Amino acid sequence: MTTRFINIAWQTLLLWLVFRCGSYLVGILHLALPGNVAGMLLMFALLSTGIVKPALIEAGGGFLLKHFAFFFIPISVGLMAFGPLMRQSGLTLLAILTVSAAVGIVITGVFVQSMHARSSR
Amino acid sequence: MSMLLFTGFVVLTVAAYLATRRIFLAYKYPLLNPVFLSTLLIIAALKAGGYTLAEYQPAKEAMTLLLGPATVALALPLYNNRGVLRNHALPVLAGVCAGCLSTIAAALVAGRLLGVAKGVLLSLGPKSVTVPIAVEISRIAGGEPTLTAAFVVATGMIGSILGPVTLSLLRVKNPIARGLALGTISHGQGTAVALLEGETAGAMGGVAMAIAAVFTALIAPYYLPLFLG
Repeated sequence: MTTRFINIAWQTLLLWLVFRCGSYLVGILHLALPGNVAGMLLMFALLSTGIVKPALIEAGGGFLLKHFAFFFIPISVGLMAFGPLMRQSGLTLLAILTVSAAVGIVITGVFVQSMHARSSR
Repeated sequence: MSMLLFTGFVVLTVAAYLATRRIFLAYKYPLLNPVFLSTLLIIAALKAGGYTLAEYQPAKEAMTLLLGPATVALALPLYNNRGVLRNHALPVLAGVCAGCLSTIAAALVAGRLLGVAKGVLLSLGPKSVTVPIAVEISRIAGGEPTLTAAFVVATGMIGSILGPVTLSLLRVKNPIARGLALGTISHGQGTAVALLEGETAGAMGGVAMAIAAVFTALIAPYYLPLFLG
């Protein structure tokens, strides 16, 4: 239990360091990319080249991914500030979100299935 | 007093998360989404106690500190699924990119037709991408990150409820296609639903979510202005 906690803690610190490196690279290279995406790609490169073994970040990474949803709760509470906007145009926004989600899901789903059928024939 | 308030807000948020997570895991019903339910609970509690968003802000800052490292951790499922990624590289990439381009276009065109303000349109752009990245894309594009976070959460809910039904109606049965569609449009929430359908669909959801995030981040500065006129 204690070892697991220590592992999660230092592995999270390691992930945080990669995140900072990603943000730093984005800054000095003037990339139109969020620092966290750069950090994710950097970590993927580290894993792919074998510099970082998956086991080295599995406890911390697994813990953070398991509770990934948690971080979005305090962010979503910020919705409070949009009460007037939601009352005024909530239905319009809901319609836009529903239509655009349906369009994307249909296009990706149908496209991939037909491409896959063609390639495996 | 403010320390007490800070602790109270953190405890409230963690408690709401743990409780709604249990409910979701017990019933696995898409509408019982923990983020959605917890947010409703916390906003209701803040309103009932007469607290403002500004008072909640310090607690929010502290609780989202680990969002950066959590996003970096997404490299792990991406790495674990690199085999599927290699074998179906072209359909995966093309499918995810087509989904991103079409959902953004649909949202912005519909938004303009319905007379939505420019700031709101910019915030709608990255709504299919996972929150930490969507928030950054929105900030860079000149949108309102908090509003984008709301759109992302709503899109996650809508896609995880309507997605599987829509795909089945169109006879999209291939798990790779289903997983990619759900992950591209509804990020983590869609991936969670894809995981319930099976391992391949789930893995593809994770892959789609990562590719969609990177692709959208890369094209947003050039693609979004096309629809703003």
